[in-house]
Amino acid sequence: MKKRAQTLSRMKRQENLIGYLFASPWITGLILLGAFPFLASFYISFTNYNMLSFPRFIGLTNYRILLSSDTIFWRSLGNTFYHVSIAIPLGIVLGVGLALLLNNKVYGMSVYRTMFYLPNVVSIVAMALMWLWLFQPSFGLINEVLSPVYRLLDIEPLRWHQDARLAKFSLILMGLWAVGGPMVIYLAQMQDIPNALYESAEIDGASWVRKTVSITLPLMTPSIFFNFIMGLIGGFQVFTIAYIMTSGGPGRATYYYAYYLFDTMISDQNMGMASAMAWILLVLVLIVTMIALRLNRYVVYLGEES
Amino acid sequence: MRTIIATILILGTLAISAGCSREEKSEALTIQFWHLNPVGSPGFSQMRGIINAFNERQEAYFVRGTGFSFWDYWDKLSVAISSRTAPDVGYRTIDDVVARASNGVLHNISELMRNDTSQNNIDLGEFRESQLEFATWQGDLWAMPFSATTRVLYYNLDMFSEVGLTEADVPRTWSELHRVAKMFDRVEGNTITRLGFDPTYGNTHYHGWLWQTGLDFFDDELNPTLDTQGHLDVLEWIIGFNSDFSRGQLTAFGEASEMLGINVFASERVAMIVDTDGLYQTLKQADAQITYGVAPIPVPDEDGIRVSWGSGFSLEMFDNGAGDEFRRTGAWELFKYLLEHDAQIALADANGWIMGHRSAMMEYAGGDPILQAILEEIDYAVDKVFVPYAPSWHGADWFPYYTEALDGTLTPSGALAAARAHLLQKRANWEATR
Repeated sequence: MKKRAQTLSRMKRQENLIGYLFASPWITGLILLGAFPFLASFYISFTNYNMLSFPRFIGLTNYRILLSSDTIFWRSLGNTFYHVSIAIPLGIVLGVGLALLLNNKVYGMSVYRTMFYLPNVVSIVAMALMWLWLFQPSFGLINEVLSPVYRLLDIEPLRWHQDARLAKFSLILMGLWAVGGPMVIYLAQMQDIPNALYESAEIDGASWVRKTVSITLPLMTPSIFFNFIMGLIGGFQVFTIAYIMTSGGPGRATYYYAYYLFDTMISDQNMGMASAMAWILLVLVLIVTMIALRLNRYVVYLGEES
Repeated sequence: MRTIIATILILGTLAISAGCSREEKSEALTIQFWHLNPVGSPGFSQMRGIINAFNERQEAYFVRGTGFSFWDYWDKLSVAISSRTAPDVGYRTIDDVVARASNGVLHNISELMRNDTSQNNIDLGEFRESQLEFATWQGDLWAMPFSATTRVLYYNLDMFSEVGLTEADVPRTWSELHRVAKMFDRVEGNTITRLGFDPTYGNTHYHGWLWQTGLDFFDDELNPTLDTQGHLDVLEWIIGFNSDFSRGQLTAFGEASEMLGINVFASERVAMIVDTDGLYQTLKQADAQITYGVAPIPVPDEDGIRVSWGSGFSLEMFDNGAGDEFRRTGAWELFKYLLEHDAQIALADANGWIMGHRSAMMEYAGGDPILQAILEEIDYAVDKVFVPYAPSWHGADWFPYYTEALDGTLTPSGALAAARAHLLQKRANWEATR
């Protein structure tokens, strides 16, 4: 009996060993390419490091400077919060709206769904360049369409991304073009809602609005919440569209946090400060996500309790 | 059948392996050289020819050139320097040589020159003093000027003759520039269709205009100035040059050309523009069907200084700390070769750049009057100062305030004060981390 137990134990160890062996390429990659840079950046955030000489430990100085005497830090953070607080709710509203629209049995619906999803497979650089054309004040399609309105109101054509007051909102509008991604998730969940619920509501005389508000939306809250969290994480890292379309301008109107981090590293050659910024961003995203997860139980339908 | 397939596979593998083998001399030490002519770029074959010529004229070293696109090169090199895997020889920008020299990542060129008793030592007399100064740290050279750039005024003679002007009317002062420029402006409805000149178009910068008045961004201790009436006057001159148009109209007009992929000067949308020698290359390559010329950038009417921003690349020998004397000697031989008269002409031809070697470039310019005029202007070019606490002071630090002043969201004095405060704060923060 004892011998059998030993054999089983040896076999289990062997099996574990083989398992680790198969997983080792991934584990090695995780440690070398993930964990090491992660920990190194944490250490570098406490140093003065210009990428030419060795990092020199300076304690919390980078953090103190960023939080107490760097006005651009707060401005870029403010711009990022503005982007997150408007882009995410708008994205959810539009995504859910589109999903409701495309959840009908109309001829050629799969074509419409594909068309709305297509922008998600377009490179963000190509997308930004296309929107530069659309927003162009002199010959852009948007201002061409709006030209009767401008004439009626006797106002100058809007300068969209070139106007400091409109630039952030222009980039948010542009981002909505890719709302087809979340829409697919909403649509999938919508189609999971049992038809019996709608049939019962119809027997009770519920209208389409009533069914949407009382059945569809509550049952969709898990996917809305999922997209909300993903949007938060992505929103705090907004960079590429501003880098390509506005270079952070006009002025610093679209100078987002990640853009400032990039400039601190590349233009100022201050890797220590940039690492500190990255860690502050991580903590911020964690806090906001944790708050959102706390709200989870109040707003998300998680099924009937037994 | 199996034997036939196996034989084909083995032969194929051998053929591919043979094709992959490098044409290196078996006993030669490989010297790494990074450049900006990647495979597929127009200058790739010429650059390969330049490298091959060096490999063929000596036996001891084999230079392996690696070309990167302009947009990838700088970040790759920065990371390579940081990780002590930099190439033996490569280019960087000349204005920040001091940063690398003071951090010990470059070989001392003056020391190599002093120890070199060969016939082909570098002739410093062939290079401009203004560029050599930027390559100097603590009295020694740590790099050599490789290319040279300047900014000049391009004028369209077809458009000049259309309004009854000739080459004699090319403006020399700011007031002449304004008077001549206004003869070309055209507006249809709310849209500009043609413009004489704008001080923000092309390759112009606030500091370039500032230098013409004898003022600078920083004092000798690298403190930001920007708080004098002179600084304000220059900014107001830029903003007010086309005051009959809104900034929205001007930006839309400039951006429209850019987006349509047409050069605003080549397409005869502006009569005059300040740009680098790169525009000349663009016009030549595009075979632009316009008659044009180049002249010094107009200067302020009173006590104006003939000066332009002249950035350029430096040639550097990177020290990865290996202490390999043989490698250093090989890199030095390549370094000298790339700065030789003939190699500089070949490099100018390969890249379309104006190189640092003066007599080589005079020969290269030959009977080309535009290139000769550009070369003459390079003698008046000055590079921007390297500010360790704000290496990108003219870009990421100043530009947002500049655009706010242009857009009118900040007053000119407000923009200057805000930019100065920002730079002072940046300096204080930088010093706190020392």
